[in-house]
Amino acid sequence: MPFTEINSKMVEARVLPGRKMYSQRGAMLAYRGDVSFTPNIQGGQGGLASMIGRRVAGEATPLMTVEGDGTVLFGHGGHHIQVVELAGDTLHVEADRLLAFDGTLQQGTMFMGSQGGVMGMVRGQVTGQGLFTTTLTGHGAVAVMAHGGVIELPITPGRPVHVDPQAYVAHHGEVTNKLSTALGWRDMVGRGSGEAFQLELSGSGAVYVQASEEKL
Amino acid sequence: MRILPGDLSPGPHGGYGRLVAMFRLQGRTLAVDLTGDAVKAKNGSMVAYDGRMAFKKMTGGGEGIRGMVTRRLTGEQMAMMEVKGQGTCWFADRAGEINLVTLHGETLYVEASNLLAADAGLRTGTTFTGLRGGATGNGLFTTTVEGSGQAAIMSDGSAVVLRVTPQYPLNVDPGAYIAHQGDLRQHFQSGVSFRTFMGEGSGESFQIRFEGDGLVYVQPSERNTVGGDV
Repeated sequence: MPFTEINSKMVEARVLPGRKMYSQRGAMLAYRGDVSFTPNIQGGQGGLASMIGRRVAGEATPLMTVEGDGTVLFGHGGHHIQVVELAGDTLHVEADRLLAFDGTLQQGTMFMGSQGGVMGMVRGQVTGQGLFTTTLTGHGAVAVMAHGGVIELPITPGRPVHVDPQAYVAHHGEVTNKLSTALGWRDMVGRGSGEAFQLELSGSGAVYVQASEEKL
Repeated sequence: MRILPGDLSPGPHGGYGRLVAMFRLQGRTLAVDLTGDAVKAKNGSMVAYDGRMAFKKMTGGGEGIRGMVTRRLTGEQMAMMEVKGQGTCWFADRAGEINLVTLHGETLYVEASNLLAADAGLRTGTTFTGLRGGATGNGLFTTTVEGSGQAAIMSDGSAVVLRVTPQYPLNVDPGAYIAHQGDLRQHFQSGVSFRTFMGEGSGESFQIRFEGDGLVYVQPSERNTVGGDV
């Protein structure tokens, strides 16, 4: 796989001729060999239609295409980096958390409101993630950024995992998510425990959780 | 030897025994396995859980009405919640490093903002710290945790445990101090001289001096304190 972790905040990617790679613009720290970086106006794969789609969805993070023959070091803002290997399944992640990913992965945008109807809409507002999320499908590796270390929690059928929306990083697998509320009278009178909203993830797969409630 | 770095991680010599099964460190998150029992944690510090959990805000500062009044008066806002249920709950706060402390009946003094979680069996209260609080920027009161069980304290960077013995008193920068336990007397020391007033201070004009027998937890980072500027 193309990513090797140098330390918890840096990854090294091997770029081979004919194998494209996408990364967040400005995330390159150093490179060796003959590598070229082209800003990608479309903000990722696909044609004009996908580009418009991403703009509308607000999931258009400035990306660049990395091509050539050599090795590139990636890192950004001192954030922790988690490398996720995909073997045919789909990773759901916020566009601004994407550091770099294999060109072999299929990039898409998903409307989160379609999961859970009205609650799905509310979810986007509460978590500050918006109504859309980026999906990556296929075989390849993704480098995802998080504040603090990341832990991977498996989700198995019948054993859903609840996650603090602010600590949620990404998830993969056949997972449905919905916003669950535990709003009680205590929250109304300002005596809440600070855990009124949770993301409930059920199905089978894994969720990545960061050790912090801070956004990037 | 005064530095005991091994004390922070429950190693084979640690003797934490069965208590470790409950509090586990996973990187910068704390995993707590609950089987119907409860744990106290900082408000809003849950990052994930599986199984069934209920979150309830506690009257911090101490138990009962007395604790509530104390909390209001002292301003030591220890906003904590009680987590009860079955399953595993993960806690973390601003990607801070977590240190596990085992208490055998003694008292742990910790700044409220640095206390992440504690066994439900431990009593939490508020105590007057004297002059120190003013210089640490944490107020004049601090939180106490007493009883037998485990507590998790936060530090900015991995903390070191320094042992204080009657022969070896310890001086700590107020901004780097996070907690202490044992039979310790603390007083406030200042090295303010005419140089300080000339604007030539070294930035180390205030220290907390610990004397007696016990452990002091120090973090490799300094909070912004009044004392740190002079």
